[in-house]
Amino acid sequence: MDFAIALGLIFGLAAVGAGIGNGLVVSRTIEGVARQPEARGGLMGLMFLGLGLVEAVPIIAVAIGFMLFGRLG
Amino acid sequence: MEHYSPIVQFAGLRFDVPVVLMTILTSVLVFIVVMLCTRNMTTGVPKGKQNFFEWVIDFIRGIAGQFMDAKTSTKFVTLALTLFLYIFIGNQLGVMANFTVEHSEPIPSLGITQEVINEHGHEVEHDGHMEKTLGVAWFKSPTASPSVTFGLALMVLLYAHYLGIKKDAGSYVKHWFQPHPLMFILHVMEEFIIKPLTLPLRLFGNIFAGEVLIAFLLAGSVAVVSLPLIVWLGYSVFVGAVQAYIFTTLTLVYISQKVVDDH
Repeated sequence: MDFAIALGLIFGLAAVGAGIGNGLVVSRTIEGVARQPEARGGLMGLMFLGLGLVEAVPIIAVAIGFMLFGRLG
Repeated sequence: MEHYSPIVQFAGLRFDVPVVLMTILTSVLVFIVVMLCTRNMTTGVPKGKQNFFEWVIDFIRGIAGQFMDAKTSTKFVTLALTLFLYIFIGNQLGVMANFTVEHSEPIPSLGITQEVINEHGHEVEHDGHMEKTLGVAWFKSPTASPSVTFGLALMVLLYAHYLGIKKDAGSYVKHWFQPHPLMFILHVMEEFIIKPLTLPLRLFGNIFAGEVLIAFLLAGSVAVVSLPLIVWLGYSVFVGAVQAYIFTTLTLVYISQKVVDDH
């Protein structure tokens, strides 16, 4: 049962981190586009880069969670 | 969901057979795509495939131009283009097709021996008696294996260091101690721990987690799971493209940190 709780914690905390981080990045992008609609293309490119960087560690946690699930489950 | 990967020993090294086959397949596919796009090139107004490929090259050149001046960026466009195409096509291969082959007979040349079937296989009803079969995932993304992503990332990082040393060994050593000698600890942590771990693990984690979820959804019943599966496959295509873009961009950033003097 500890194992189930541990897996739940891994995935839950990863989701919280990714959600808050992505939300911050996208909200700033929307604000930037609202201030200057011509900058939309450049800001969208930067947004995708930022999303990928922010989601890196939560995704690593998810991958490790799946590996543990496969090996110990 | 837990699929076994057969391993073959060769010259003292262990090779993961499906990953090796998929790496070769990805390289062949990249070569074919580029070759088809650059047939009968014209120097006039480009049409069709050549137009598309010129757009891809322009895209990569734009990324390189963000971090380096025009003269140095042209030296690295080929590397960035190759990385981008390889990672992009590699990521999409796992989304396009995902099948498992059940082996009940050993095939020693591929690394499926009888001990492996007995140890990792599961019991299956076959012609009225129970038999051990082994489920092997033969077709998956090469980037879903950590070895491939670590190989790509370490190659890129060592290349960046090599470029820095080749350009000017003195200022390369001085950079470890800029702007304050105590920053040496942070630089060591950055160069030996953070960069070599986050760069490959980011790509590996995204693609591996996506594939595990695809396998997970494929195991469900058709009525419940079709719509989430379609949505998740679409999202995986997008994630594959974004991760290729991020890997290429970070490669160019790390190279530019060593090659461009920005003081």
